[in-house]
Amino acid sequence: MATSDRVIEDFGHVSRTVGTVFRYLLLAATLFGIVALVILLIYVANDAIQPLTADPRWHLTFFLTLVLPTLAVGGYLLRTDPDSFKFGASVVGLLAVSTMFGGGAAMIFVDIVPPVVWFSYVLALGIALAGVVGIERFDRQLPFLARFAGAAAAIVGSFLLVPGLVQGLPIYPSNGVMLTASLGAPVAFVVGRYAAVDAGRRGTALAVLAAVAAVGAGQVLGPVLAIGAVPATVLLSVAVVPTAGYAVGATRRNPPVRPGLLLAAVILGGAVVGAAAVEALGFAGPQSWVDWGFLTSAHSGTAADAGLYPAIGGSILLMVTVAALSFPLGVGAAVYLEEYAPDNRFTRFIDVNISNLAGVPSVVYGLLGLGVFVTYLGQPTGTVLIGGATLALLILPIVIISAREALRSVPDAMREASYGMGATRWQTIKNVVLPRAFPGILTGTILALGRAIGETAPLIMIGAPNVLFSLPTALSSKVSAMPLQVYAWASLFASEPFYQAAVPAGVVVLLIVLLSMNSVAIVLRNKYQNQQ
Amino acid sequence: MSDNPDQEYATDESTDDPTTDDMAIETDVSESVASSGPTMAANTVVRAQNVDVWYNDEQALQDISLEIPENQVTAMIGPSGCGKSTFLRCINRMNDLIDAARVEGDLYLRGKNVYDDDVDPVALRRRVGMVFQSPNPFPKSIYDNVAYGLKIQNKEGDYDEIVEESLKRAALWDEVNDRLDESGLELSGGQQQRLCIARAIAPDPEVILMDEPASALDPVATSQIEDLISELAEEYTVVIVTHNMQQAARISNKTAVFLTGGELVEFDDTEKIFENPESQRVEDYITGKFG
Repeated sequence: MATSDRVIEDFGHVSRTVGTVFRYLLLAATLFGIVALVILLIYVANDAIQPLTADPRWHLTFFLTLVLPTLAVGGYLLRTDPDSFKFGASVVGLLAVSTMFGGGAAMIFVDIVPPVVWFSYVLALGIALAGVVGIERFDRQLPFLARFAGAAAAIVGSFLLVPGLVQGLPIYPSNGVMLTASLGAPVAFVVGRYAAVDAGRRGTALAVLAAVAAVGAGQVLGPVLAIGAVPATVLLSVAVVPTAGYAVGATRRNPPVRPGLLLAAVILGGAVVGAAAVEALGFAGPQSWVDWGFLTSAHSGTAADAGLYPAIGGSILLMVTVAALSFPLGVGAAVYLEEYAPDNRFTRFIDVNISNLAGVPSVVYGLLGLGVFVTYLGQPTGTVLIGGATLALLILPIVIISAREALRSVPDAMREASYGMGATRWQTIKNVVLPRAFPGILTGTILALGRAIGETAPLIMIGAPNVLFSLPTALSSKVSAMPLQVYAWASLFASEPFYQAAVPAGVVVLLIVLLSMNSVAIVLRNKYQNQQ
Repeated sequence: MSDNPDQEYATDESTDDPTTDDMAIETDVSESVASSGPTMAANTVVRAQNVDVWYNDEQALQDISLEIPENQVTAMIGPSGCGKSTFLRCINRMNDLIDAARVEGDLYLRGKNVYDDDVDPVALRRRVGMVFQSPNPFPKSIYDNVAYGLKIQNKEGDYDEIVEESLKRAALWDEVNDRLDESGLELSGGQQQRLCIARAIAPDPEVILMDEPASALDPVATSQIEDLISELAEEYTVVIVTHNMQQAARISNKTAVFLTGGELVEFDDTEKIFENPESQRVEDYITGKFG
């Protein structure tokens, strides 16, 4: 061959300088926002928590009891057994997030909804559900309208009669007992069933009983730990029992991840041991502004005494109202637009405008709320109801868009299979589309709620008070919210200590709430994606 | 979506079909195929008469007329885009779900024109089972997948028994009987498709339509599905669309050849189509000169 003796000495080089420069410019663009935000957060967290004011020996103690063991065990697990590591981390994360939500729930039961009211409504719900299930189960032959009327009668009757009857009783059990029955028992039932996988009927019953007993222990533990029976019961049933149930159930389902429990034990144990040690040795902790007093007291003229309690409660109530309003409306609209709406000009018009609405500035929604609810409907300004309704309007387009996205991700093959079986559209939506899209819908709604919790402008527009000194107790009471309170501290009460400590502390609390809501959404989404 | 699958309680149980019992004429299927002469006519289950289908202005099927016999496998073959799937979807009016589709002509299922005004497509689909190209079990348990049709149709009877019976007929029972509460999505592709077949036969339909049921499967799973189809034909009328000519030759009693443009070029006993087709175009297609 003519080419066989040709040898190439050198292929030469092609310059990549421009490409390299371009690549690092892109990297800089990617990191710019994140780095700026991280620096700001470090700055804010430093102001709020002031870790440098602590005794160095305090840091050393916690470093030795908490950080070092966690790093050792975590690092070891991460390298040898990543699944166990993930499991251990998720146990700790679940406990942290659920404790926070438990705190919020406890706040509601202590200051807003008396346990007896909650108990009576849960009882009413239970009776109504029993009625509906009974009608569905025993009367398959009844025509639809009769069943519907029966179910509606059971629901309405139960809700009209039972709460009044229960609350009218001359004596009722202690608050802790009622909460154990109405909040703890349902949770314990679910948790016990999850934990006792494959344990048979007896095992399941035992697990449920154990969970109920654990929740009931709050009656004793609460007073002992000086936090009261009600908060103890709520925390046990919302945080501790579910976390323990998850740990037990997951290790029973998948025994190889058991070492992950070690990580959880090291973190929790380390925190307890460290706290006991600094207490015993008298090492002073940091003079953090985010402390028990800050979380549990109301605003005050002096920054040192100022707290966020009414604002936290207000934000929780607003969230509940917003979720109750925007979830059914948003999901309903999304289902209609995705599954029912014909493809015509009207639908496309609505389509485009929902996207536009998602981009309307929040202050405009505030104006809308003021105009519609206050001026037109004559509601008092700044109440939980109109605040919640305004924020619900604000996030409604976002809920609709994300729910539509979730519905669209249900493969058409599923719908075809269902229609091919002779299902009606309603049966297809109920049995196939919604169950499959539900985690995605939930994720989108939680992220949208996260946006609502941080809004200030609409609340100012509808005349919510800047500071409140007690929790709102009804839908018609005035409400403040965390971002509003922070804004008030930064503007109306602007003075050195407010600026430098109270505002950062408020921001930190707000961000912690927001990030944990988002983390719930992310965990849900990942779980959902893994299932597909 | 143009039609309205919302008419909820419209299962017309009143018109329960008498013909199934009355006309139980035994036709020896295997023999009628083996002898290449004109077949003895079995009962006709589906009869199409001058069916035209348009997608917007484009004609997908031209003047299709054919008769599909009872308890036999009828195959539809032809190149891609020739309208064979479209015809299949005319039988249970799945084309109604596509806005752009328009069907003209008459199509009778056991003597009733399914395009009559008084026919509820949802009720029609409850009489016709369908298996799709790629396995599409619901993200529910195996049991709930098979029982889906029974539940939505509010059927009477012992669901456990029907589910077991259907899974046995679909040759899946032995593989899944100890894990009926696991998700149907955890099965292999071939198992999923057999699950879909079990789901389709559970409500005991008049006809089973299969739209290239093995095209997404490996050869082993394909041959399992083919065996299953031949067995199903003892009790059900099966209409299968396939782009695999060997498959049609192996399992079907009758074959309809569709060619580009949506025309039915030839419809006859499978033996005759593959050995001695009348049309030159069919011969070209089968021998691979075209399509």
